[in-house]
Amino acid sequence: MRGQINNTLVLLLAGGVGSRLNILVQDRAKPAVPFGGLYRIIDFSLSNVMNSGLSHIGVLTQYKPLSLMNHLGTGDAWDFSGRTRGVKILPPRTGSKDSDWYKGTADAVRRNIDFIKAHPSKEVLILSGDHIYHMDFAEMLAVHRRKKADLTIGMMVVPKEQMYQFGAGITDADDRIVDWEEKPKNPRSNLASMGIYVFDTEYMLGLLEEERQEVDFGMHLIPKAIRRDRVYAYPFNGYWRDVGTIQAYWQANMDMLDPESGILPQDWGIRSNPYAEGRAADRAPARFAKDARVKNSVISAGCLIEGEVENSVLSPGVVVKRGAMVRDSVIIGDCRIAEEAVVDLAILDKLVNVGRGAVVGCGAGENIANREYPTHLYTGITLIGKGAEIPAQACIGRNCIVSPFKKADDFPSLKLEAGSSI
Amino acid sequence: MVLAGGRVDELNVLTYYRPKSAVPFGGFARVIDFPLSNLLHSGLEKVAILSQFRSFSLINHIGSGAAWDMLGRYRGISILPPSTGHESSNWYRGSADSVYQNLDFVRYHTPEVVFILSGDHVYNMNYQAMIDYHKDKDADLTIACLQVPMDRAHRFGVAQLDDEDGAVGGRVLAYEEKPPTPQFNWASMTIFCFKPQVLYKVLAANAREDSSFEFGRDIIPRLMAESKRIYGYKFNDYWGYSRTIEEYWQANMDLLGPVPLIDLETWGLRTNLEHRGIRDYEPLKIGGAASISDSLIYNGCVVDGTVEHSILFPGVKVKKGAVVRDSIIFFNNQVGEGARLEKVIIDVNSSVGPGCQLGSFGPLPAKLATVLGWNNHLPAGTVIGEDCTVYPGQAAEKFAGEIKNGEVVR
Repeated sequence: MRGQINNTLVLLLAGGVGSRLNILVQDRAKPAVPFGGLYRIIDFSLSNVMNSGLSHIGVLTQYKPLSLMNHLGTGDAWDFSGRTRGVKILPPRTGSKDSDWYKGTADAVRRNIDFIKAHPSKEVLILSGDHIYHMDFAEMLAVHRRKKADLTIGMMVVPKEQMYQFGAGITDADDRIVDWEEKPKNPRSNLASMGIYVFDTEYMLGLLEEERQEVDFGMHLIPKAIRRDRVYAYPFNGYWRDVGTIQAYWQANMDMLDPESGILPQDWGIRSNPYAEGRAADRAPARFAKDARVKNSVISAGCLIEGEVENSVLSPGVVVKRGAMVRDSVIIGDCRIAEEAVVDLAILDKLVNVGRGAVVGCGAGENIANREYPTHLYTGITLIGKGAEIPAQACIGRNCIVSPFKKADDFPSLKLEAGSSI
Repeated sequence: MVLAGGRVDELNVLTYYRPKSAVPFGGFARVIDFPLSNLLHSGLEKVAILSQFRSFSLINHIGSGAAWDMLGRYRGISILPPSTGHESSNWYRGSADSVYQNLDFVRYHTPEVVFILSGDHVYNMNYQAMIDYHKDKDADLTIACLQVPMDRAHRFGVAQLDDEDGAVGGRVLAYEEKPPTPQFNWASMTIFCFKPQVLYKVLAANAREDSSFEFGRDIIPRLMAESKRIYGYKFNDYWGYSRTIEEYWQANMDLLGPVPLIDLETWGLRTNLEHRGIRDYEPLKIGGAASISDSLIYNGCVVDGTVEHSILFPGVKVKKGAVVRDSIIFFNNQVGEGARLEKVIIDVNSSVGPGCQLGSFGPLPAKLATVLGWNNHLPAGTVIGEDCTVYPGQAAEKFAGEIKNGEVVR
């Protein structure tokens, strides 16, 4: 099996901007956004690839790839380094024409046909690096071969009211996809495309060749393939989240606290690359002071908790000083919450300082959407950018955005009304 | 040259299957990580580890040396077990002999200074400053020394130092190894800088003429007798020295409190995260009914009970209703529902069944720690008093009756 598995080449699409994650993706691509205390979003896809026994992988980057490339390193963290294994980073390149940025998923793959041909394969597995899930691709490949499919698509069963966000497949009794709708308003099916494709390599090369102007799999190539060729669905029922919005990102982090939610990174064998974080690798165990009060939370090594933490996810090196309170929040690495400060329903990117007595997420106003980004922040979550310093005694309302590296001088007053931004 | 081979019986069942330097410490690390991290931060990158007692755990732990940046073209870490060869094929007969048997390795590197230290102690020290002092004084031997209370000095090799360089160091005027009635109290920390030629000569003489082969007992007295230039480098910071379970327990507790004496973050302690795969644990999970205070807890733990003034190594699970107090729980152990532990040390691959009681639960806190060796699985309801020792891998029947204070299960 292992020999056959290694006839499969993996292409991981990690170039997406993920702009709805707002300032979390100001300096990094969505797959590189920290998640669940110790992970980055892409760790889930990479670990699934590793745990499925696949060992040749190309990572297609485009948007702000530095943090991502740093995180991938040699690929060693996922066992991709070695004589018969390898991970390659595939950034856009200039070709015969000057505008050669990736224009879509199919376009990105088409522009790396040389890479695909240089690694002879029977199938190509195409994934995105944007999702939190656990899946055995070996099993998916086995199904693909058994059905003698040209293309097999990983499909998640989701509630119909959410189908407008996805590509929808309509299947027959044998799981063969007979019709397709891209982001349907009135869905006929509850099978949503997870953006996971197994192609027969020759078939895919042919398809990309004959439709040279089409740049996206979901919008263009797949509907055509369904009409003409053997396209199958691979139904999936486990935990799977597209953490592409602030609300979904926060919720998936909170799922880490709920034993019933189904997200189990350690049991799933999810690996990260702590060495990419420098000191993060060698953090001491989390330290709890005598008066600490912590419940229902996830706390990473290197944290120091003197105050109170409830229903929250803390990355390495977070300090919660005496009398401070963190509730319902996601705190990314090395933030410092000073004495008597409160962080309530917020996402803090790394290296944020919350001054003494300040309140992040204060007052009512959960329903007052952010004025600048009403579609990003509307459920009460307040977002603080990397390295920002919240002045002592400040009161930052609900659905607010404080951009990265803002300092006390940037605050017009100590009170930031719900829905405002700095 | 790190002396890491000694089996030190004092640490009881914790050193039955590993050298003292490989004993877990600090909630995620091993004792030897302290000297290795000191070497890293001091810029000393050519390191040999001399080991013969149950080296496996140590070899595993050192790995490639990359954890301490000792991997690269001009850097390296070598583990030197006893070997057979042209000239000798002995076990290491003592610390000095272990260096003597590897002099070919030492000479090959043509050192300017040979720095020899024990891998058994917990402290933070800039070795480069000591080496600079050694060179400044043009010393034949420089010994790191720590002033200890006179009533404890009999446990150490002790030096009498003059005040040639005030608080920095001074000439060694006299030296005695573990004297019954000490006259001076600068204890040797088993950290030595040698002039290479002096070292080569004295080790050869020791090997030829003596019947014991220890730096403290044999080498220093020999050099004193030869009136060599021997200096003491004065150290006056924290030094965690454990020869008994109580001292080991206390050194661990020095990681706790409002201002811990051992500050892992400031010291920059490094360990090998590949060993036991601790890099792959998810963060600590704390349940809704949990209570944690004054404790150190690493990734991979799941706490649903109460943890007070304790240290949990990676992967420990404390179930609902369990109370863990004043205790040290090694990797991956499980404490069952409603179990109560007070002043207990539990080695790896062990579990405590639901409702067990270990340690003292009278009105007074436990005086002496109870220790469980590895591979022990206590059935539900087991009762073990304080100051007990459970040997590794005991059968479940051994725990049928109450185990009273001070008993040994073997």
